Amino acid sequence: MSQKKQVKNKSGYIMLGMVGLLYIIFYFFNVQKTEAALLASLDVLKMIAPILIVVFFLIALLNTFIDEKSIAKHLGEESGFKGWLIVLLGGILSHGPGYIWYPMLQQLRKKGALDGLVIAFIYARAIKLPWLPLMINYFGVNFTIVLSFYIILGAFVQGVITNKLK
Amino acid sequence: MKKTPHRIKTTLLNTFKSLQAIAPMLLAVIGMVGLFETFITPQMIHSLFDGNIIHDMFLGTTAGAVSVGQPFLSYIIGGELLKEGISLYAVTAFILSFVTLGVIQLPLEFSIFGTRFTIMRNLLSLIFAFIISWASIYTLTLIKGYIS
Repeated sequence: MSQKKQVKNKSGYIMLGMVGLLYIIFYFFNVQKTEAALLASLDVLKMIAPILIVVFFLIALLNTFIDEKSIAKHLGEESGFKGWLIVLLGGILSHGPGYIWYPMLQQLRKKGALDGLVIAFIYARAIKLPWLPLMINYFGVNFTIVLSFYIILGAFVQGVITNKLK
Repeated sequence: MKKTPHRIKTTLLNTFKSLQAIAPMLLAVIGMVGLFETFITPQMIHSLFDGNIIHDMFLGTTAGAVSVGQPFLSYIIGGELLKEGISLYAVTAFILSFVTLGVIQLPLEFSIFGTRFTIMRNLLSLIFAFIISWASIYTLTLIKGYIS
């Protein structure tokens, strides 16, 4: 294992240790709230576990059956309009918290996907299809349509800027 | 070329290893999410706004970036803020940064994507929280005088 990778692995354990320490400190100040925080974390873990399994299964499939050539064709320099369509639709349709998609997106980058397309995918995730009815309920149809339109446009523009700056 | 069953086995093993590698950071982020959801209340967020559009947009973006939870929470908090007279500019910036920025998950993002990509993505999301909020409300005003 490379030294860089070891440092990365260590940073995860350090961060976990710090969060553990925070829980211990908060526990002394407010037992009930700290227990509630722990339960809330467990709820998040339960919620993301199935999606996490799907994401890692997708990574395995990606690594086994999709090679650098096809990634370059669909999400690389030569991807064109189709590449944008894939990432914008993929971003809108993907579920769960953004961070569980990061390992898969990093795999795509390693295989030749453009950074701009990855950034566009992440930004397009700001449209949360299942929650749109609630947004309409609070802010109205016009607001929801206009904001969604600008999010898609913003995702595209951010992707273009990223690709230009590379 | 390796045979497919062998390739699947190797890939599954590698996938498991990468899951194992990000597990501590992922658990740390989830732990922080629980703490924030419990200790940072909507009332705390509301008390920060003062009525100035630029100031409130900046605060909305910051509050959204440090808040965590399901996206619907941002709609509920945003809806309540709007009812209490906070500008739609600030509320839109809050909703946007709630789902596109994440201070809590930054260490995880750095460790997976590296420094350059992470800074680039977050900087763009920050700038676009302002641009999209302004553009959305401006468009709505043009469409039908959405806000008076």
